[in-house]
Amino acid sequence: MRIACPHCGERSLDEFLYSGDATVRRPDFASPTAMDEFIAYTFERTNPAGPHRELWYHAAGCHAWLVVTRNVATHAISSVEPARDVALAGKPETKDGA
Amino acid sequence: MATADRRGNGRQPNRLETGGLIDRSLTLHFTFDGKTYVGHPGDTLASALLANGVRLTGRSFKYHRPRGILSAGSEEPNALVELRAGARREPNTKATVAELFDGLAAASQNRWPSLAFDLMSVNSLLSPIFVAGFYYKTFMWPAALWEKLYEPLIRRAAGLGRASDDSDPDTYEKATAFADVLVIGAGPTGLAAAQAAARTSARVILVDENAALGGRAIDDVAEIGGNPSHEWVKIVEAELDRNPEVRVLRRTTAFGCYDGSTYGAVERVSDHLARPGPGVPRQRLWRLVAKQVVLATGATERPLVFGNNDRPGVMLAGAVRTYINRFGVVPGRRVVVFTNNDYGATTVTDLTNAGAEVVALVDSRPQPTAEVQRLADTTGVRLISGVVTGALGRQTVSGARIRAHGGDTVELTCDLIAVSGGWNPNIQLTTHLGGRPVWDDRLCAFLPGALPPRMSVAGAAAGDLILDKSLAGGIAAGSAAATESGHKAVAVPVPASTAESDAITPLWRVAEPDGKAFVDQQNDVTAKDIELAEREGFRAVEHLKRYTTLGMATDQGRTANVNALAIMAEITGRSIPETGCTVARPPYTPVALGALAGHHRAKSFKPTRLPPSYRWAKEQGAVFVETGLWLRPSYFPRPGERDWLETVSREVTTVRNAVGICDVSTLGKVDIQGPDAATFLDRIYMNGLKTLAVGKARYGGMLREDGILMDDGTVARFGESHYFITTTTANAVKVVQHMEYCAQWLWPELDVQIVSATEQWAQYAVAGPKSRALLQKVVDPTFDISDAGFPYLGIGEITVGGIKARLFRLSFSGERAYEIGVPARYGDALIRRLMEAGAEFGVCAYGTEALGVMRIEKGHISGPELNGTTTPRDVGLGGMVSTKKDFVGHVLGKRPGLVDPDRPALIGFRPVDRSARLRSGAHFIARNATPTAENDEGYMTSVAYSPSNGHWIGLGLLKRGPERIGEIVRAVDPVRGADTLVEVVSPVFVDPEGGRVRG
Amino acid sequence: MDWHPPATLDLAVSARETLTMASFAAIRGKEEALREAIRAGYGAELPYHAARVAGVGITFVWAGPNQWLAVAERENGRDLEAELKEQLAGIASVVDQSDGRVVVRISGPRARDVLAKGVPIDLHPRAFKPGDVAITHASHIGIILWQTDDAPTYEAALFRSYADSFAHWLFESAAEYASTR
Repeated sequence: MRIACPHCGERSLDEFLYSGDATVRRPDFASPTAMDEFIAYTFERTNPAGPHRELWYHAAGCHAWLVVTRNVATHAISSVEPARDVALAGKPETKDGA
Repeated sequence: MATADRRGNGRQPNRLETGGLIDRSLTLHFTFDGKTYVGHPGDTLASALLANGVRLTGRSFKYHRPRGILSAGSEEPNALVELRAGARREPNTKATVAELFDGLAAASQNRWPSLAFDLMSVNSLLSPIFVAGFYYKTFMWPAALWEKLYEPLIRRAAGLGRASDDSDPDTYEKATAFADVLVIGAGPTGLAAAQAAARTSARVILVDENAALGGRAIDDVAEIGGNPSHEWVKIVEAELDRNPEVRVLRRTTAFGCYDGSTYGAVERVSDHLARPGPGVPRQRLWRLVAKQVVLATGATERPLVFGNNDRPGVMLAGAVRTYINRFGVVPGRRVVVFTNNDYGATTVTDLTNAGAEVVALVDSRPQPTAEVQRLADTTGVRLISGVVTGALGRQTVSGARIRAHGGDTVELTCDLIAVSGGWNPNIQLTTHLGGRPVWDDRLCAFLPGALPPRMSVAGAAAGDLILDKSLAGGIAAGSAAATESGHKAVAVPVPASTAESDAITPLWRVAEPDGKAFVDQQNDVTAKDIELAEREGFRAVEHLKRYTTLGMATDQGRTANVNALAIMAEITGRSIPETGCTVARPPYTPVALGALAGHHRAKSFKPTRLPPSYRWAKEQGAVFVETGLWLRPSYFPRPGERDWLETVSREVTTVRNAVGICDVSTLGKVDIQGPDAATFLDRIYMNGLKTLAVGKARYGGMLREDGILMDDGTVARFGESHYFITTTTANAVKVVQHMEYCAQWLWPELDVQIVSATEQWAQYAVAGPKSRALLQKVVDPTFDISDAGFPYLGIGEITVGGIKARLFRLSFSGERAYEIGVPARYGDALIRRLMEAGAEFGVCAYGTEALGVMRIEKGHISGPELNGTTTPRDVGLGGMVSTKKDFVGHVLGKRPGLVDPDRPALIGFRPVDRSARLRSGAHFIARNATPTAENDEGYMTSVAYSPSNGHWIGLGLLKRGPERIGEIVRAVDPVRGADTLVEVVSPVFVDPEGGRVRG
Repeated sequence: MDWHPPATLDLAVSARETLTMASFAAIRGKEEALREAIRAGYGAELPYHAARVAGVGITFVWAGPNQWLAVAERENGRDLEAELKEQLAGIASVVDQSDGRVVVRISGPRARDVLAKGVPIDLHPRAFKPGDVAITHASHIGIILWQTDDAPTYEAALFRSYADSFAHWLFESAAEYASTR
């Protein structure tokens, strides 16, 4: 598989590390229901057979964290964005297929 | 070829006087099963054996039937041989692709004691028990006999060659190449495609598994563009070789299609030589990345399924033409040609031209086509509408029994039966990513279905079997691929070529065969086995495959799968598409593990990182240990020391009483700056760091979000917004990754810059009561390092001999200690300077072993305690955890299971019998309890012989441990047979008041 | 470091041991000020993509988003960390990298063939030119790679502790092209 890093261009899979689900956002530690929210955030995942938003780290490249939208059934990648931009856009992502 | 002689000695009875692409002016000697033969450059082992009249090349896998050469390519199921001798011995090599070189030594496989008189062929007489499913049925019971009887029996009977026991003396490597257009296969289609693409100035890679380009353009007699087809190949090849943007990879098999238009290919750089040249690898594994791919892999001819169709002398018709036209070898003198299609029938012409007698052309179709009738008329060959029911002859073919469609049977004497059952397009690479082939009734073959992104298929692989269509398809695909990859199209005319016919009527098996009719020759699967599988309910194609092992041999059933599927369809009365289809997984042909490893074997398996003092430590005779990628000194033995324990104890004692020096450069070091650096670190570490004063350091721990300890280290503050942290050696990379995650994804609003500085600094721990005295001789005198000026946990920027340096007053050993850092290029100089300055104090260097002993003596945690299951509380750091701020792991660290007071917690241990040795990994059991899993109360994480205490000590995690000081428990180690009584004590074995670190 | 490159006709390998290097990153909101400071101080336009630009007595190598590596000859005691800390005070965070990385120069007609045996990116002249930069790896060793001329000449900045392993891979990969003189 090849991922088009927005900073470095298209690179082979072996430069990247997959590191989790980009559809969940870290809850507020001070929330009264923080424990439940953190458990869901850390452990509970859907397993969609189709498009999914994932976090990848360009470990052997520019060290950018990336949000990769990928169809996990076909490996077709439809977008790659810097995670920082996605996070700063501040729109909490909805859970695909939830 | 240096040793080849030019006399041309040795008789090659089947070698033609002229023709073929071999060099008759040079003679190569080779041996097969110890006997010497000769051949020529350009030969394969198979063509040379055939030239010499050798037809029997091996015994079959299960029945030990005699087998010969079926094909002329990589689809060969039978002629598998061992090549070379000694460390280079290589089993299961196809004689049909092994290029001949002078001195080649080859041996047949599966024969004992000799090929011609194979005692094991008694298997054939027992064949009723060797039917499909034999392994499952026979060896199910009694199980006890498996090891003693069945397995040795099977291994003896059914071996597939012997690998060498010695390590491979050759080298392998991997490389990456990029192309606008990758063309796989250099037959007429691939050459045309590459030519068309290259003329647009696209970057083209053309790969072909053979040494000679051309495919059927050199195997068959035809005209292309007014030239003999092999001349056309030379013209195109020269054009491609001249073009600097074209890379032609010969002897290279594209074996796998992967996501992202990436292809795996193996180049057999030196397989055709006795040994690789200096510095040249044996094989090279290519990763090919292409914007567009043209698959021009051609097609593989199908055998026909009739009685004894595995006898040496039954050969694919296309292979017969190849041996004649490419190698100048006529594989038989009296030949029966048996075909179900027009193309196979043309073999008659090639044979006749080569001087062989074609005794009959047997066409299984009810009515010969006009094409075949014309062929019979022009050559005068006897045309029989019917089938060959069986090959005659015990070791090799001596005749054919033929049944005409009217029912008349005739036996004809012959030494070769050339068979053609039609063609299977080589579409394996189209299925590697899940594409399903589609059945084509006209061609009686599977064609590519949905293709991987950016791939097109042309020529025979796409079902365009005849030359004219192949060339047109190749040019169109090559042009389109170049255009798609961004190049301007250049019109390339389709050259005129010989007219051909691909008319076919299926014949999947001959009814009522005379003898065993094989479908998969490598795994010895017959048409009857397929019937048996059907009767026993294994009708699905995947069940059929597993039940009969059909298609599961090293050739992946390239000549077998479609025939098998069609036979199953026929038996079950279903159509072929209803029955299933065949898909393939990589690799297309076997790939040596050496090629997959490339450079990365033995010491180069992974990179080695050398710390700044490496050269000095090596001079000192240090013993090194691998910690992650780093090679660190473990201990520094001195003359007269009996063992490592004596050395390590001496190093510990020296530090505790004088001073020692240890290279701690391998610890991860991260420079963190920015206006929000303090806030950022407060969210990463479990303890508060905002209050850390500039010029001070503090111990810190970080958690995973699930509340488990991730890493620990020190945090030093060099300025208001400038921190410098250390991580454990093992987690250096992981911590940077985690910090980047937090900075980019969790809290992108924080302004913080993170830079790894691990390698910038050579850093040495200088530890022991004399450490300050030593450093005072080294640090430039303008810097005050007195206890008042530089107290415990103080840090500062200093100079050493005018070089910028950093000093940290930190201690892992529990003694007064410092870490001094200089730019890494001065690391070697600094260790020498420190040792020289320390001589008067009795300084010694110490390694990771002494470091470990001293941290255990002080109850400091390390890797064995930071093991991915422990919380801060478990290791005695619960008091550090902030309850006020947000930090990674804050919330989930409070989960009931993680704060359960029953959790095993850190405590020290010493043996009741002070002379006893402790073992890490031992489990704690209450003194009066039985050692069962239910009674398990924790385990010993770290142990050491403590020279300061004079006995073994340990750290461990014990249920409610801190409440149980003074209690005696059992430390049980069933694996190593130890059961030791130990006393629960404080984890701090040395200087429990902690006075020494402050001096 | 011990450099014993094989004698080859078409490849020259050397280590650049006399460099001073520092990485720097803009403080949030000071990006334009940083660009201006580099323009004013060194006459260079800081690259915001994978590129390397030359200024007066210095080059700037893109080293990731908002991250650059400044490289200069360490003559007359020049220390880029100190220099940039002064030039970019309040604008950028500066970290000394003079010793963290070593720079290996690989030059000659065979350079591409040798690098292809470990570097998984396209170095064809149509894809990678003088001035281009790639952060990638060579035989599993992280590198910042740039091209300096059409010889072609490449320079790879790698962490110091990997230098021996890198050399071992490089020289083994070059052995095929070794001179038989």
